Amino acid sequence: MTGAQKRSIRQGLISGAIVIYLGLVGMLVAFDARAIVTGILNFATVLIAITYGGFAYLSGNRGKHGAPAQPALIAGTITGAVAGATVGVFTLVVNFLTETLGWNVRNMFTSINNALLEFFTFGQSPVVGALLMVMFGLVAGLVSGSLHLMSTTNRKVVVMGLTASVFGALGAPLFKVMLDGLNIPNRWLFERDGLTLIGAITLFVVFAAARMGSLRVGGPRQALLKVPGTTEKNLRWVITALALFGIAILPWIVNDFVSDVLGFVGLYILLGLGLNIVVGFAGLLDLGYVAFYAVGAYSVALLTARSSILVGGAVTSPAVAAYTNFWVAIPITIVIAVLIGVAIGAPVLRLRGDYLAIVTLGFGEIIRTLVLSDWLKSTFGGPQGLTEVTSAPFFGLNTRDPQILYYLIYAFAGFALFISYRLKTSRVGRAWAAMREDEDIAEGMGVSVIKYKLLAFATGAAVGSLGGAFFAAKLSVANPGSFTLLVSINVLAVVVLGGIGSIPGVVVGSLVLVGLPELLREFGEFRLHIYGAILIAIMILKPEGLIPDKRRALELHQSDHQPEKSVLSAAATEGVQ
Amino acid sequence: MSHLLEVHGLSIRFGGVQAVTKIDFHADPGEIVGVIGPNGAGKTTLFNIVTGFYSPDEGTMIFDGHNISGLKPNALTRLGMARTFQSVRLFNAMTVLENAMVGQHTRTKAGVWGALVRSKRTKAEEDHIRDRAREALAFFGDRLSGREDALASDLAYADRRRLEIARAMATDAKLLLLDEPAAGMNPAEKDGLINQIGRLRSELGYSIILIEHDMPVIKSVSDRVVALDHGEKITEGTYEEVSTNKQVIEAYLGKAAEESHL
Amino acid sequence: MTTSSSTASRYRLFLERFPVRKFVLILLAIVIAYGAAAGSIATLQLGRFSSEVWINLFISGVARGSVYAIIALGYTLVYGILFIINFAHGEVFMAGAFTAYFVAVGLDSAGMLASSPIISIALLFLVSSVVSMTVAILLERIAYRPLRGAPRLVPLITAIGASLFLQYTFRGFYGANARAYPTIPAIQGTWNILGYDFQKVHVISILGAVALWLVLYWIVERTRVGRAMRAVGEDREIAALMGVDVDRTIVFTFAVGGALAGAAGILYVFLFNQVHFFMGFFPGIKAFTAAVLGGIGSITGAALGGLILGILETVGPNLFLDGAGVPSPNQLIPIVAFGILVLVLIFLPGGFLGAPEDKRA
Repeated sequence: MTGAQKRSIRQGLISGAIVIYLGLVGMLVAFDARAIVTGILNFATVLIAITYGGFAYLSGNRGKHGAPAQPALIAGTITGAVAGATVGVFTLVVNFLTETLGWNVRNMFTSINNALLEFFTFGQSPVVGALLMVMFGLVAGLVSGSLHLMSTTNRKVVVMGLTASVFGALGAPLFKVMLDGLNIPNRWLFERDGLTLIGAITLFVVFAAARMGSLRVGGPRQALLKVPGTTEKNLRWVITALALFGIAILPWIVNDFVSDVLGFVGLYILLGLGLNIVVGFAGLLDLGYVAFYAVGAYSVALLTARSSILVGGAVTSPAVAAYTNFWVAIPITIVIAVLIGVAIGAPVLRLRGDYLAIVTLGFGEIIRTLVLSDWLKSTFGGPQGLTEVTSAPFFGLNTRDPQILYYLIYAFAGFALFISYRLKTSRVGRAWAAMREDEDIAEGMGVSVIKYKLLAFATGAAVGSLGGAFFAAKLSVANPGSFTLLVSINVLAVVVLGGIGSIPGVVVGSLVLVGLPELLREFGEFRLHIYGAILIAIMILKPEGLIPDKRRALELHQSDHQPEKSVLSAAATEGVQ
Repeated sequence: MSHLLEVHGLSIRFGGVQAVTKIDFHADPGEIVGVIGPNGAGKTTLFNIVTGFYSPDEGTMIFDGHNISGLKPNALTRLGMARTFQSVRLFNAMTVLENAMVGQHTRTKAGVWGALVRSKRTKAEEDHIRDRAREALAFFGDRLSGREDALASDLAYADRRRLEIARAMATDAKLLLLDEPAAGMNPAEKDGLINQIGRLRSELGYSIILIEHDMPVIKSVSDRVVALDHGEKITEGTYEEVSTNKQVIEAYLGKAAEESHL
Repeated sequence: MTTSSSTASRYRLFLERFPVRKFVLILLAIVIAYGAAAGSIATLQLGRFSSEVWINLFISGVARGSVYAIIALGYTLVYGILFIINFAHGEVFMAGAFTAYFVAVGLDSAGMLASSPIISIALLFLVSSVVSMTVAILLERIAYRPLRGAPRLVPLITAIGASLFLQYTFRGFYGANARAYPTIPAIQGTWNILGYDFQKVHVISILGAVALWLVLYWIVERTRVGRAMRAVGEDREIAALMGVDVDRTIVFTFAVGGALAGAAGILYVFLFNQVHFFMGFFPGIKAFTAAVLGGIGSITGAALGGLILGILETVGPNLFLDGAGVPSPNQLIPIVAFGILVLVLIFLPGGFLGAPEDKRA
């Protein structure tokens, strides 16, 4: 057997294992409910096809060290078939264990239920089903392999069309609501929660053609530039203006639920921008960012509370109840957050990256434990937290209305955006950039490293506390359950996915990680699972994120120039096997 | 006469190794002092102590009338000292101009408020920073000025060394400490460097201390030479005096001379 | 160049030199020490707890600490060789313990837990160690190996992602509910040693941990592989030049750390009885604290750190805080662990047995 064939088989096994994994964690059964083409195709099937196909495609690539690729069709077919066979064997084994041996497999692997087995066997008997699965894999592999036979352009066009159809289908509920809101007829496009067949084909054709067109001119950016009168600069202005316009009118064309989700997205944009200053600009990995969020919420709650507060039916008087106006409370809250940020930061900011991360995590947890404790219940309200944060009257507008809250959070986010941009392109931003690259030299140039680290930390704290203030206003409670480590990790994921140090990246990251799961309910169940996978994948494949900040991208890839193993050690390890 | 930099009895020990022992050393305003010695003699360590990266076990240091013991590098930069490194340490992900602009950091003040508000004063300061940086770059002619938006990592090796010096110049220093500025340069580049070091003193009034292995360079630029070996100062004087000093010759050539007697 | 009057600049130079940090930190240390002492004295004076209770708390702390110590070994080994914090090590621990649960259930229904406890326990240890080891090896291969040369931030974020991913993988596999281990009658109850009644599980945990530690010590100090591990930790390139297969050594390190974590998982189950997909997170952090407390990279340090942490955690809240009138002090156990972590990293980053601070000005 040739090396290339072995590789194909191995990739088939991996592909099959991944599909089995998806089944075992329950994703397949959940995604089965999601229609792509209503009545015909659902997402789980598509997912499996993509998995088989993806690996099949890869096995048609050149191997390492330039080993020749075997004919793509053969490679793809082998991989696909093996993948299908792996899953088939799995179903047979499970069947054997449950039917013949009578083991209660479901007690251990809770996701193996009849639905899953039926799915894997296409509703047939185990043996027939397994064979069908092999066939399915084979076909998927064949089709993917054939992608190799197309020209690059054609390939990109086809992929674009398929991607558009799938995303159109996944986003169907949202798009449907939007189109309904604008009174655009869409029965031909969407049916229940998925696409109609015609809709799917239309999307495919339209986007494929668009891609074809843009590739002809050298890419979407070039295509736009060709429109008469556009230059790079005013292109950016136009996009920004459109975005702002879109943000402004969005609440009017979607329903309250979507407004709410977008508000949530805005919150994470705000928090992400704050963390971006700490992690992205100053290079400090802070895993305790939720602490500032909590400080903001609790400060606002305490400052604006009336003297007696109803906590779960009992009347408690918090130690501080200043009944100040929300808008007065905000600057005070920011000051408090900055002070706490400096207090936490001063002793720890000189620590090395990974230690700093753990220490900040520790602080976050300490603050949460304190706020949750019985000991400090009289101030912070214990597990139930504080309620009755005043709704903030602002020119007579009621801030419980989702639409108003929406504008509020985007105003805050806009402010954070402004701060971020201004700082980045200033002397302070330069100092941070120097500090990130080489602390010693920066110090030598007069950048007081500790001062600038504190500055970043304090600014991040201020922004985070704004988020907390918004939270308190929105829910009118400050409750410790909302301030867990998970929030810090969520914000970190948003920043990392978008691109560490990249300001537009934070927006994209938030939309993807916060917005999408809300709109795609089935994904929402597996949100953290997918976050974890995304973090790993991004760090391995593209550590600078989706919309990279140019400078950071360079810094992250600098180590590419100094190979991990020098030539000497590579030779030595290869020699001694 | 008051020295610009005066160092007495400097010693430092790392673990079991006495790296520098009781060194006395000085540099006067407008002087160019060369520091020579075989590898491991303690030259860079001496620089590291003087520029605040290491804290000496004993000894005093006075710069421009101030006692500088215990001060950190950025305080020393503010007082007027700037240095370059044996292995060129630039901010690789920043442009040529940005690298030089960082040099001005210690002379300027704009903070968060200035960044956010961009007042007239902040803008004027930014312009001043940019101008000073460009001045420093222009000293090396078009090589750096013509590429001010290029990334530091994209420069040729000799240009990277020049940029490091330019960045040091941008700090408005009085004293430059250059650590092997000629390392890795070809003869033509070395000639250019000799010329530039001379001009740094004659046109811009810098005092310079440089560590070098390349004797012709030392000979051409130095007013005075200090020789170190095994962490101690063995002699100092003009180049002629030092290069004919028996101990110095032994330190550099001693082992080879012994071997030739086999 | 700036011109400033000489008094102003001298004042400034004085400020530069004043060790503000040291001053504040020493102040903080005094306050904490005073607080702990005052609280302890108050509690002891109140006399609400008998000496029997204190001894039990202490032993329970030692038992817990032993478990933390073994988990900490995994962190310290990986750190010593790759200089990254394997944030997902807690999940490695969880994987083994949780999977072994199903074996325990099977054994229980066959009655073996009662009839042949030693074989059953051995089997549980085996399964748990193997599963944890496998997870650790996969982790290295998939998540860490591609990132060998990357700046430190990158593997750390990957580790966080891996931790999340593994948690939810096992949630998906085994469900979100906590499961209670079936009881093993042989280890219930107490033994009477030297006149005091000790919980059997405490004694077993401590002895088990000691045995595991000794095995690891022997591996690292006395075997060829152990030598290779230390060599790679010192200088990877030179080790490779000396003929050490760096990749294999690293895999071995993860494998050993994983196996130990799996074994620690069973000890943990003896003490706490429950498994849950999230059970690895806090013990993981605590174990990391222990590793840092003792000096990361040091095996002895991990053991020492674990013990100290365990004891402080069980005895601490009651001792320090009860007397001070703090209600439900056990709620504040996380503060003890995290507090120690924070304090150690601030004051003593090298841990007790680690490297002293260097000469940097």
